[in-house]
Formats: sequence, C-alpha cells, structure tokens
Amino acid sequence: MKLEYSFKFSEPREEVWNFLQDEEVLRNSLPGCKSFEKDPDKDVYIAEMGISIGPIKGIFHGEVKQLNQEQPAYYKLKVHGKGKPGEIDAAADMFLEEEEDGTRVDCKADAQVTGVLASAGQRVMNGAAKLILGQFFKAVDQEMKKTAGKNA
Amino acid sequence: MAKLHGARIKRQEDPRLITGNGNFTDDIKLPGMVHARVLRSPYAHAKILSIDVTQALEHPGVLAVYTGKDVNPVMQPVPTSWVVPGCNIKPKPRMPLAEEKVHYAGEGVAFVVAEDRYIAKDALEKIKVEYEELPAVTHQEDALKEGAPIIHEDVEGNLAFDWQPAEIEDEIFEQAEVVVKQRFYEQRVVPNPMETRGAVAQYNSGGGEMTIWCTSQNPHIHRMVYSEVLGIPESKLRIVAPDVGGGFGAKIGVYTEEALAGYAAKHLKRPVKWIEERSEHFLATNHARDEVIEVELAGNKDGTLTALRVVNTANMGAYLSTMGAGVPTIDFGLMITGAYDIPKAAVRTYGVYTNTTPTDAYRGAGKPEATFQIERAIDLFAHEIGMDVLEIRRKNLVKKEAFPYTNAMGLNYDSGNYQLSLEKALEMANYEELREEQKRLAAEGRLMGIGFSTYVELCGLGPSKVAGAIGFQGGLWENSTVRVHPSGKVAVYTGASPHGQGVKTTFAQVVGEKFGIPIEDIEVYSGDTGSIAMGWGTYGSRTTAVGGGALAIAADRVVDKAKKIAAHELETSPEDIELKDGVFQVKGVPGRQRTFQEIAKSANMAWDLPEGMEPALEAQSFFDPENFVYPFGTHICVVEVDKDTGKVELKRYIAVDDVGRVINPTIVEGQVHGGLAQGIGQALWEGTVYSENGQLLSGTFMDYTMPQADFFPEFETAYTETPSPVNPLGAKGVGETGTTASTPAVVNAVMDALRSYGIKDLEMPLTPEKVWAAMQNRRELV
Repeated sequence: MKLEYSFKFSEPREEVWNFLQDEEVLRNSLPGCKSFEKDPDKDVYIAEMGISIGPIKGIFHGEVKQLNQEQPAYYKLKVHGKGKPGEIDAAADMFLEEEEDGTRVDCKADAQVTGVLASAGQRVMNGAAKLILGQFFKAVDQEMKKTAGKNA
Repeated sequence: MAKLHGARIKRQEDPRLITGNGNFTDDIKLPGMVHARVLRSPYAHAKILSIDVTQALEHPGVLAVYTGKDVNPVMQPVPTSWVVPGCNIKPKPRMPLAEEKVHYAGEGVAFVVAEDRYIAKDALEKIKVEYEELPAVTHQEDALKEGAPIIHEDVEGNLAFDWQPAEIEDEIFEQAEVVVKQRFYEQRVVPNPMETRGAVAQYNSGGGEMTIWCTSQNPHIHRMVYSEVLGIPESKLRIVAPDVGGGFGAKIGVYTEEALAGYAAKHLKRPVKWIEERSEHFLATNHARDEVIEVELAGNKDGTLTALRVVNTANMGAYLSTMGAGVPTIDFGLMITGAYDIPKAAVRTYGVYTNTTPTDAYRGAGKPEATFQIERAIDLFAHEIGMDVLEIRRKNLVKKEAFPYTNAMGLNYDSGNYQLSLEKALEMANYEELREEQKRLAAEGRLMGIGFSTYVELCGLGPSKVAGAIGFQGGLWENSTVRVHPSGKVAVYTGASPHGQGVKTTFAQVVGEKFGIPIEDIEVYSGDTGSIAMGWGTYGSRTTAVGGGALAIAADRVVDKAKKIAAHELETSPEDIELKDGVFQVKGVPGRQRTFQEIAKSANMAWDLPEGMEPALEAQSFFDPENFVYPFGTHICVVEVDKDTGKVELKRYIAVDDVGRVINPTIVEGQVHGGLAQGIGQALWEGTVYSENGQLLSGTFMDYTMPQADFFPEFETAYTETPSPVNPLGAKGVGETGTTASTPAVVNAVMDALRSYGIKDLEMPLTPEKVWAAMQNRRELV
C-alpha cells in the first residue's frame, strides 16, 4: 500500500525537526502508544501500540527506526510491527519543507501487511493510516504548542 | 399409483434441515472431546527459521502443540490424486505441517489442541515462529518468467506440468480466411459452501479403530487417502460424511487438517474436533479457475469453423491439490470445441506453481472454462465476419443426426439435440422481439445486450478404464444397495455421497417407481464408509447417471428375486408374474397376487422359499458406465448496461437445459438455479485478489462478493429430454450445467451491449467500475 500525507506546522523547520526526533514527543504523540523505549544497542525504538483499523484491533509490538537523517530536511522512518492481526512492514520518506509561515511535512510511505490486516483490513487501511498519521502530527503540534506555552 | 419418475416431489431431506434437526460435523459432540486450531503462515513465501511452542504449551487448557517436526516423520504426505500422464507432471507431497518453508499465506505451521476452541485460538498467539521472508509470486505468467521466485527447489521454472495431447499444423491457421485470436483470463474464485470444512476424529486405543466425521463429498476417497496418511488400515478407518452443507468441489479434495485431527485423537486418546472459520476457509480450502486462456479460432467468411487452438496457462497454487491437475487438462482440454463441429483442434496446458492457495475442482471443473473460451470466441468470430451470433451457432452446432458424435479431441458425445434446445430457448426469449427492443432502446441511448451460450459439458464421471488412462487415482464406477426389510420398508445405500443435491428424494423416486411403493417407505443412506461397501462420491454430475444407474440395476435385481418368490407361492413361473403398483400379479388371473410387503416378509422369514434360494431381499450393484454423459442446452442472457455508472443489470435469464431423463423437475430446477448463481457470480461479481507479496486481499465476505438472491431476476428455465444411452436411467447430470453455461452467456450479453463502443472483451468480473472505465476509454462509435 502506498500512501502520501502532508501536515502543516506553524513553527520553523529546525524546531519541527527537533520535535519529530524527540523520544518523549514521539512517546506522547504516537496514537495508542503503550510503550516507547530506545534500544541503546541497536539505535532503534522498541514500541508497543494499540491500533485499530476498521474491523481489526490489536496490540502491535515492533521496532521504529529513524535513519538517513539530513537535518533538517529529510529522514527515513522504518516501522516493523507484529500483532495478532498480522504484521506491518512500512518505510516512509519524511520531507520537511520550509514555507513562509511554517513547515510542511510530506510523508511518502509504502507499507506491506500480512494476515487479517491484509485479508480484511486492506480496503480501509489507506483511510485508517491517514487517520493515524493525522492524529500523530496533530499530537506533535500540540506538544509544540504546550512547550511554546511553557517557554513563553 | 401416481408415477414417481418425473414427478415434482418436495425434497425429502428438507424437513430435518429447515427445522434445525440436521446433523452437521460441528453438531457432533463426543464425551471428552477437545478442540484444534491451525496456526497459519502470515507469509506467502518464507523460510521457517524456528518455532517456539513453549509459551503455548504453558497456556492453561492446552493439551498439545504439534509442529512439522512432530507429525511429519510419523504421518505420510497428502498426495496428488490426479496424476495426468504424458505431461512431465511434478506433484509435490504436501506434508501435514510446513517444516522448512511455507509456500502460501495460510499454509499450516502448527496444530494446537485445547480444552475448547477459544483456548486453542488464544494459544496460537503464543507460538513464536521466526520467518525469513522470501520474494513471492502469485500470477502464473509471472511465475514462468526467468528469474521468478522458485516455489519448489526441484521444479524448474515453476512448471508443474506441460500437457499437449494434440497439435495442429500452423498452415491451417496461416491459410485460413479468418482467424480470431483472443486472450481471456478466467479469474480465480473461491468456492464458498455455507458450511466450511471441519472434522471430528475419534480413536479407540483398545482396538485401534478410528472414525473421522468430516465434510466430504467422497468419504471412500477420504478413507483411502487418510488410511495411508495416518497409517491406519482401511478396515479400521471409518469416514462419515454426516449432513454436509454444500461442497461445490471444494470438499472433494483431501486436506491436511482432517488427518491432523485424526493423528491428535490417536496421540491424545481424546476425540478431537477441528472446524474451519470462514476467514480460514478463504485461505485454506482450495480455490478454483485462475486460467489464462489464449484462443485462436479459424474458419471461413461464410461462418464455417475449421480449427481451434488453445493455450491454457493455469495457476495451480503452491501444490497440485487432489484433483487439481485434471481440471485445466482433461476436463478443460478435451472439451474445447464445445457443442460445435470443428474438425481440428489442439490444446496445450501449462500448470504453474505459485505462492497461492492450491486450485482444484469447482462446480463444472474445467468445463466452465472450456465453455467460456469457445462461447466467447465464436461471438468474436461472428463479429469479425459480420454474421449474427445466432446464425453462426446454427451453422456450426453438431447436428442431431451426427450422434454419437466424436469431437476433435476424441471424446464421444453420447446423445444430443442441440437445435431443439436452441429453438426452444429462442421461443421462450421471443428473440426477434428482443432484438427489436434492443434497437428501440439504442435509439433512446440505452445499452441493452443479448448473450448466448449453446453449451455441452462432460459429466457422469465416468468409465473406470478411462479414469485409469487419464491418471485419475481412483475408479469411477458407483455402488448401490437396495435392502428390503421384513415390513416391506426399503433402505437404499449409495456410495455417491450427496450433500445438498436432493438425492434422498430422487433415489427414493427411482426405487418407488420400480417397486410401486410410496417414497415414504424408502430411506436413502449415504456418506458412511462403515455401512456402504464402496463408492466414489458426488462430483462431476455423476450421482444420478452413475449412482442412479447402480441403483436401478440393484432394484431390478430385487424385483427379479421377489418375482421368483411370488411365483413359488402362487405356483406359477416367474415369467408369468408382473409387478404393478406394488402388487405381484399372475398375468391374466386377477386376485392371484401377493403384495410387495407380503413378499418382503416371505423373503426375510424364509419359511418357504424356492429350492436353493438364499433368504432375505437385498441386492447390490457396482455399475461402471461405458461412457461419460454430455448434458447440453441453450442459455440466453439479457442485460442493460447503465451508461453513467457501468452497472450491469440482469434483465432476463433463460436457461433451456437437456440433462437427459428428468426424475424430479423441481430438483433439476433447483440445481440449475444454484449453478446459475455461481456462474453469473463469476461473470459479474466474484474475484480473488492477491497483493504483490501474496497476501489474500479478498479474504472476507466484505471484500469477496457472494451473490445474493436479490442480485438475480426470476430465472426462466425449461428442459428438453434427450435420454443418455449409457446408463439405465437415461440421465445426464444437472449439477454443473448452470455454472458451465452461464458465465459466457452473461459476458456475451454485456459485450453485445457495449458493441457501439468497440469494446471486444473485458476481464471478469464485469464490475461497474471496470465497465464504466472501459466506456470512458473508448469513444462511442455510433
């Protein structure tokens, strides 16, 4: 499944970059995130997320990896998750573009799924994935607003 | 007494089924019974690096977790049972559980047995399997390409077989006045009986006997194969098919799960039940069709057809399933010329392994595909030469005088009168008026289409010597026993194992007619290898033609013996006794008679039988027909395509079938209706979709369209009766006619509706989206 999604932040690019790379922000912003810890040996995050896609619900255990960082313009996000409804293998190119009044993040993702996720979830997956991404970016945005509030 | 043969009698099996008193496999509950579930591969193609069952075993209520390492060394693989000769066939043994590698998404990896089915399902999550995913290939043409992932290491190029029974010189095509060429894709469909698969296995560790109740179309074949797989002699293995909720071919196949239930029952000394969920059924039970069919049809400008050459590239899935290899070869290839007198024909079928669920027989098995390509090709040929699709059929249909007719592939069609069914269908349709209506609607800018299918199919499988010659690992005769109890009530046992075809009714009608007794006095038993000597099951529209043939012979034998007893008691010779309305009567001497019941009592008491006669009144027959039977007919479909949405509306459907002598018209109509729903379903709605990496995307009824009653107009059915000369009942078989004939009739109708757009062909299913897109891409030519 291929997917494109864009989100507009009102903050400058460096600031958005820092937030998107921040472990604490990610933990608070990932929808359904139950745990999110960095594996010090492998430079990956070990995550546990509750995901609901159409008729399919389940807890996914997996690894999240951020790589090929070209601060502050680009990084690659790799997710491998496994749960009762199947497995998710996703790679996303994240582009941060400076705009006049903030930063646009463009996400271009390609995901492979197995199991019930594939056989029953495929029809609604695109919509659900966009919803999840939207929730994520909105949550990051909230985190940024909160921090800005504290700093002010 | 009213005549039973040909009477519209209500199905005798229905009262118990519609009042919830049926006994299906999942209704069977045995003391101490435990429940099994299968862990299935999430990957279409992957190496199994490790399996850790520790946590699953610790899960409360779990009795056992079996992996390939446990069961494969002590069980035999499930074999391919149709080993088509002369095609370099490479069947792969299917181990009970995958051990080194998984070959399709859904292949069994572990088998969990627990106190209830929910515990078993929970425990599946606790099995840790480490896979190394491999590239997968799902389409047969991709699998044949160089560099494609190899499914079985020792099968080069994924080519499971290459079957080419006949060739034609190229010159015939080069020199022909007209040649039409077309590539068709007969898409993959999933047989979906209302009851999914399941098994209950019970083992007696004292005597070593095992009983497996399972959803089988052919329990004796299952016994023969599971006996080997489990290492239990046939004499100690009893297979029972209780009520079976439809099969459509998917329950011919011999699978691994039923055998695993047997193994677990023996190992745990507890009865084990395994019931397939619907989502599991989509993955684990055989799929069907999935054939790329390339056709070249040659002929003259006057509409004479001279030669047909067909190449079928068939997707066999990850294994050659039970009957899988026979479907796109024998069943398909020998019937490619259909009902037309085409002097020369050639066929080549490539069977290809892919990372998909194996394909096998599905209602019609090869004949729907054969019918589709010739019925579509003949329409294209007619359009090419500017001839009416009806006229080209009239010109080329095998003539009534030509029977028995040998087709270009060497098959001998038993009997037929194709013109009769065609004319009857035209009359019912009011064809001339339909064409007028089409013109009127066209003038209003509406798209109406009329499609034909003048089909013939091969049924009533079949002579056993032919079965042997074509590599079918079984016989194709059938067995029936007629047992008359002392009271005159009759028990009939048939080796054909019906599962929804109404045979309890039709077989009772056959016997009732012979004996002159009411059908309420006759009970038909089937499906139990413990009480039925032998048999080969219900598929290939063979039950009435072959099983009914055995029944008629057995019933005649009973009558012969009964006449001897009556003659003895009435002090005359058996030749002077006639049986009428259940009474044995001395010819010409009214009053000198014995009732059927009196003779039944005499025979069973044996107080005074003719010298040397054995007691009881029972006869058995093992009937092996000399040929297949060839039902035929004409179907006409009328559709209207919505210009704005591409939606195909079925306006009328006319089916005139000739299934030989009809025993019960109501049951024949029911069979035709069900077949039509499935055949039209393939044309318009059904279709299996795999993702690139081999995930089944159409794995639920949300994603896979099951036709529903309100999708259809009232079917207009009728029949002609051309008896078959090859069995005592003159029956030809009706189970598959609807599925075989209807798919091309619908597609031909839609293409007729779209002719003004210059659209020659579209791949099925003809969904609104596909039809609409095709219309957008072509400017209307009018």
